[in-house]
Amino acid sequence: MTIDEITLAGAKRGDMRACENIYRRFHTPAFSVAVRICKCRELAQDVTQEAFINAFKRINQFRGDSPFWGWLKRVVVNHAISALRKLPRHDAVELEEHMSYSEGDQDRMGYSMDLEQALEQLSHEDRSVVWLHDVEGYKHREIALLFGKTESFSKTRLNRARAKLRILITENNQITALNALA
Amino acid sequence: MNTPEQWKRNPEDITGTDPLGLGQLEQIEPEFDGWDDIEHALNAHKEQKRKWRRNSGWMAVAASLVLVVSFNLNRAPSSTNFPGAATPDTNSASVAVEDNAMEENINALIGLSQNMEEQVKSLREETGSMPAESAIYVAELEDLIAQVDNELSLNPDSVTLWGHRVNLLLDLAQIYQQQWEIDYGRMASL
Repeated sequence: MTIDEITLAGAKRGDMRACENIYRRFHTPAFSVAVRICKCRELAQDVTQEAFINAFKRINQFRGDSPFWGWLKRVVVNHAISALRKLPRHDAVELEEHMSYSEGDQDRMGYSMDLEQALEQLSHEDRSVVWLHDVEGYKHREIALLFGKTESFSKTRLNRARAKLRILITENNQITALNALA
Repeated sequence: MNTPEQWKRNPEDITGTDPLGLGQLEQIEPEFDGWDDIEHALNAHKEQKRKWRRNSGWMAVAASLVLVVSFNLNRAPSSTNFPGAATPDTNSASVAVEDNAMEENINALIGLSQNMEEQVKSLREETGSMPAESAIYVAELEDLIAQVDNELSLNPDSVTLWGHRVNLLLDLAQIYQQQWEIDYGRMASL
């Protein structure tokens, strides 16, 4: 995902058409990253909006020596993490809460659960860490900086998140298999 | 999508950076188009920057003009400052030049004073509440301006008084400008 020099130069001059082109091109991937981190679509929408406004205000800081999407993505991720840190702690849904659902709920969830849904079951921090590390290629040091914590926090969260995802998906597969036998 | 077997692998066996295949998940399509709001916010930001530049520019112009006038006043030969300095031959000519220069200086300061007053009024309208210390300083400056106005009503051609007035208005504008920048900084960080 790249943008041409003319569009970038236009955006740096404050040309709204160039800015709109950039927005149209990167809106979906930016929103996608925000949703993966925030889990909540409404919050991700706010985060995406703020991130684009901030990015356009600071676009002159983009030197062009790295891919534009990489730069923009960092702005989005920073805004998303910042939004998460403002959320009250109880907003984080832990795996234990999911495990305590009724059997009926579990069955119902088991039918449609895939990796996407498993990801949704993770807490904000676990999901953000696993996504940033495994998909966006962030290093533990960078994740630690974003969250204002240590590298071991990032490593622990990553292992925990992966383990939880495996459990959730294995459960789903078992339920699906049982339903197929019945 | 990964096969179920992949989920069951021992974490120690996995060395890849994306062992669960999260990167293969499809992008999530937004259900909104926020461009209008972004454009509105960016235009507001541009306008704020434009105002800031305009206000800063005015203050710089005013400050430099006051400096020039003060410099000219100090340099200009004055019969009152230097009673025995001027020779009889040049005295009448220098007084005429001095009168013209004085009138130009007064006119420049009066014009500047009016413009500064407009700037202060505009800044005051755009500035939110300010800390108590700043508010007290503003009140003191406004009192001083009122005193200068009172003296100017008795001596309207005093370059010194007009210079004082412009300087006081500059100080006042700077306080509002600083407060405006703080408010604007807060808005920008939201």
